[in-house]
Amino acid sequence: MPANETELFQALSDAVVGMDEDRARELANEAVERGIDAYTTIERGLVDGMGRAGELFESEEYFIPELLLCSDAMYIGLEILRPHLKVEDANQRRFKVVIGVVEGDTHDIGKNLVRIMLEASGFDVIDLGRDIPAQRFVDTAISENADVIALSTLMTTTMDAMAEVVDKLDAANLRERFKVIVGGGPISPAFAKRIHADGYANSAPNAVKLVKQLAGVPA
Amino acid sequence: MSHDLMTPVQRFAAYGRGEAIDRLPCVPIVGNTAARIVGAKVSDFRGDGKLIADAQVAAYQRFGYDVIRIFTDLYTQAEAMGARVHYPDDETAYLAAPAIDSVEQIRTLEPADPHKDGNLPAHLQAMSRAVDAVGSEVVVTGALTGPFTTASFLIGTETLVRLMLKNPSAVHQLCEIALQSALDYAKAILDTGCTPSLTDAMCSTTVISPKQFREFGQPYLTRLVDFIHVHGRSVTLHICGKTRSIWEQMSETGADCLSIDNAADLGEAKEMVGHRVRLMGNVSPSEIMLEGTPSQVREAVRECVRKAHDNPKGLIIASGCSLPVETPFANIDAMLDAVREIGWPVHIDQEMETAWKA
Repeated sequence: MPANETELFQALSDAVVGMDEDRARELANEAVERGIDAYTTIERGLVDGMGRAGELFESEEYFIPELLLCSDAMYIGLEILRPHLKVEDANQRRFKVVIGVVEGDTHDIGKNLVRIMLEASGFDVIDLGRDIPAQRFVDTAISENADVIALSTLMTTTMDAMAEVVDKLDAANLRERFKVIVGGGPISPAFAKRIHADGYANSAPNAVKLVKQLAGVPA
Repeated sequence: MSHDLMTPVQRFAAYGRGEAIDRLPCVPIVGNTAARIVGAKVSDFRGDGKLIADAQVAAYQRFGYDVIRIFTDLYTQAEAMGARVHYPDDETAYLAAPAIDSVEQIRTLEPADPHKDGNLPAHLQAMSRAVDAVGSEVVVTGALTGPFTTASFLIGTETLVRLMLKNPSAVHQLCEIALQSALDYAKAILDTGCTPSLTDAMCSTTVISPKQFREFGQPYLTRLVDFIHVHGRSVTLHICGKTRSIWEQMSETGADCLSIDNAADLGEAKEMVGHRVRLMGNVSPSEIMLEGTPSQVREAVRECVRKAHDNPKGLIIASGCSLPVETPFANIDAMLDAVREIGWPVHIDQEMETAWKA
């Protein structure tokens, strides 16, 4: 077992990068037993590891399968550590994103990667899943008091469903209240502009950069 | 405005022999857009081989391109093995649920019977009918989904890619069943007089690594290509998204032509594998063909020609992937017209040339 906090954080980060669920579980439990601050353990261990995994993904050393297994290890650690967060850390108001695949499409790997990377970057994410009607994005954004609506699709046939979300916000006079961002295979910056979305990203790491920009936090 | 002097079959034959042709071969990959030609709904294609054939033949006759591809979606084989597919009223079908949800259930899967299961009989009927109608003048291909991609529809993509790292032998088991099914279907396709055309979307390095492609994609594709070659046909292989780092491996499967997505660069493909394979591509189906203007389509075609017209094994001007259903006819016409204007030997307007070199 790691001798001190710093080593434990490093080992936890390595467990995430190494896709080692058992090791992540063991180290998260160890942090709890030693009474190490849960927030710091998450930030310097799990989030750090997922950040490194994201960099390996960007440099094409990791691909989607590896990134998914890294996130499995991260979520195992999060599940153990979250109940031990101090009340002020747990209740901290965080920038909130409602995300989903638009109606008519069930390809959700891209959306899942964006969710994972956003959560790993400290954002609050409500994942609606796939094949989601436009109205549900709007309703959820209102009820959750979200900041961003993130829409994904891999199919050209469902691109118009993205415009529908924007139109519904317009019609309800809510367009200014939420930022709408779009992404997925057939989506281009020109398309995003045409439907009056607030942003477009071509990869999960870039989606995180985009949300950080919208949230006004340094990338 | 067709001014073609050769039929597609004559053009490909002459091009392959290095003889004079009237223009480069051109294939806007028309899938369900064919429904718009005959005023049908996309869902009308379900189970109706006659309608699929009539629509595809009518689309070919309307635009004058060089290959007919009998295709509605990538799920046909997985559906015939138990995956659930949702058919919207007038849009392309999508996967509703995989056939199985655990490794234990793999043993319950069986290769599909192409003459009995799902929509395979309808597709075979469409192939046979299209070959009868226009097979003497144009190559009719039948869409065949690659084993790795079908495996992803059988157990779910996320499950499959996790298994690659956690339980590789389960993935091989799935791919093996999908391959058996694909071989039986390929045989049935060949029996109609049609040529199987391979798509293995999930093998893209947008999803898996080159190393994973080498282990889980390439061997199964190679066996399919070998099988088709034994039957005397050449094979086109399409993999969506990013593929640059697997072009060598895609060529190693023995495929005769690689269809390159617009997420990759034709010029680079020419440099890397153009001495081994013909290239096909790669005008963006959504950004240019669906959303662009005819003049943007023309410019995109010229760009492809500039980059790869001198490909040692030849070039087919094409869209980077299947066209969206609502692609404007004017843009498909513009693709063909641009290729006709450029002619053969290729001639691109001097002004454009200068702009490009600057």
